[in-house]
Amino acid sequence: MDYILHLGILICIYTILAQSLSLVAGYSGQISLAQAGFYGIGAYVSALITVNLGFSVLLTLPLAMILSGIIAYIVSKVAVKTVDDYYIIITLGIQVVIFSIMNNWQEVTRGPLGIPRIPSFSIFGLEFDSKISFLLLSVGFVVLVWFILHHLTKSPFGRVLRGLREDEVYTKSLGKNVGNYKVVSFVISGMLASIAGVLYAHYISYIDPSSFTINESIFILSIVIIGGMRKLKEIFFAAAFLVILPEALRFVGMPSSIAANMRQIIYGLALILVIYRMGSKQSIPSAS
Amino acid sequence: MGQIFVYVFISCLLYLLVAVSFRTLYLVLKFIHIAHAISIALGAYFSYLFAIQLSLPLFLSIPISILFSIAFMLLLNQLVYNPLLKRRVEYWQMLIASLGVYVVMQNVISLIWGDNMLSFRTWPIKEGYQILGVFITDVQSITIIVCLLLVGLSWLFLERTSIGNKIKAVSSNPELAGIVGISKEKAVIWSIIIGSGLAACAGILIAADTDMKPTMGFNWLLYGVVAMIIGGMGKLRYLVFGALLLASAQHLSAYYLESKWMNATAYIILIVFLYFRPYGFSSQPLKKAEI
Repeated sequence: MDYILHLGILICIYTILAQSLSLVAGYSGQISLAQAGFYGIGAYVSALITVNLGFSVLLTLPLAMILSGIIAYIVSKVAVKTVDDYYIIITLGIQVVIFSIMNNWQEVTRGPLGIPRIPSFSIFGLEFDSKISFLLLSVGFVVLVWFILHHLTKSPFGRVLRGLREDEVYTKSLGKNVGNYKVVSFVISGMLASIAGVLYAHYISYIDPSSFTINESIFILSIVIIGGMRKLKEIFFAAAFLVILPEALRFVGMPSSIAANMRQIIYGLALILVIYRMGSKQSIPSAS
Repeated sequence: MGQIFVYVFISCLLYLLVAVSFRTLYLVLKFIHIAHAISIALGAYFSYLFAIQLSLPLFLSIPISILFSIAFMLLLNQLVYNPLLKRRVEYWQMLIASLGVYVVMQNVISLIWGDNMLSFRTWPIKEGYQILGVFITDVQSITIIVCLLLVGLSWLFLERTSIGNKIKAVSSNPELAGIVGISKEKAVIWSIIIGSGLAACAGILIAADTDMKPTMGFNWLLYGVVAMIIGGMGKLRYLVFGALLLASAQHLSAYYLESKWMNATAYIILIVFLYFRPYGFSSQPLKKAEI
């Protein structure tokens, strides 16, 4: 039973990550590979502050969000100056920089040793230390993020983002400041991703840099693409599918050393297939 | 301090080789072909297969492994990229697809050969020669010569031969090139042969100097791409600038800080550089669409 609850919590965390990425990748059309970086910032900021200073999560959560917001702002200020191909390399770059700070700045983050004994999530003396209560808490956060994204994308702001994704020049000709919209959506996405990091740190109670690698970013991007870029509900199902997949492989009786690779092979293949299917929908040749 | 110059020089040449190989493909494919990392890793792993596991002599196994890597990438183009392009997939979607190919292949490699570091070095590690007060090993001197030779040859190929001109024609305007009878498919095939071949050579050189891991291609590819972005898409000399800037920044950071920060330095250089010169040294945008 605990095991199923554990999977449920993981699905919630990945849903938050993928849905927040969907705002950037699906709506404003910027493929970002930095999501695991912001996830890591959330986890590390909250873990370091609660372990070293003993502050409450109520304080660390906004702090983590603000810090990842600031970093997302700086990155996207540079990134909006460039076009799509550079964009993905820049986000990948910031992912590597964040990872190597977590991995190498050993005085603060303890490097590969990680941070153990992170206290459990507690608000106003209410401790979420059992699995079932934490699952409820994560579901609460998923609903919150979902609510924010749903309303944001239905709002005029979301309409501009969609227009930007379809035709950037045209959106600009309507007098919209395209760059600003991109920056704002990226900052919001980074801040929401750090919520998932805070949840993860207090749930697992031990974090190390290996949870926030570039592979994790690719994994989150796959969830978004397999789920269908901007369909929030389908992204939830895709997250559930990709989280349960390795467990299913284990049930089939595959040794865990092969299962880790098989899981990645399967989602790599899924990526190619999804792109293949995307192609058929656009029968009209793109204007060049 | 002199030793740093040697390291900078060698890294610069390797980055340049990877950047040139990537650029050859990028000219016609027009998307960040992440699966290019696989041809770097495959070059190294095929040499391991032939030289160690099948114990062929080195002078035979290296050309064979380069040929195998090229053949593999051609097959990949035929089986994955062509069907996708036929369905008019956009460039960013091609990028995602090539990311998928990379993920699949990297895991296939680690399933076959394992995640541990391997090396096809059979010769003993010798102390380097001392020239003008700096040490340089056999492998390093071979690396320098081979890199210079390959970069020069590929430049000549692209600038002086008719196939090279066709590749450039397709690169600048595929439709017009098609009208005058230059087939895009042939140009793609030629650029894959050249690009993947160069990448496989780079992989073998890297593996000969240090060792190989299934993920080695990704890092090196990114260094090459960073060098290309810093340099811009213009002439070869801008690529040299890009590779030189990247290599010297990395080794200086390793000298003054610690070598573990080399990776982060590369990207910080990239981000800072792009803030001031969004299109690199040559100021030539990658694509025509410019907002």
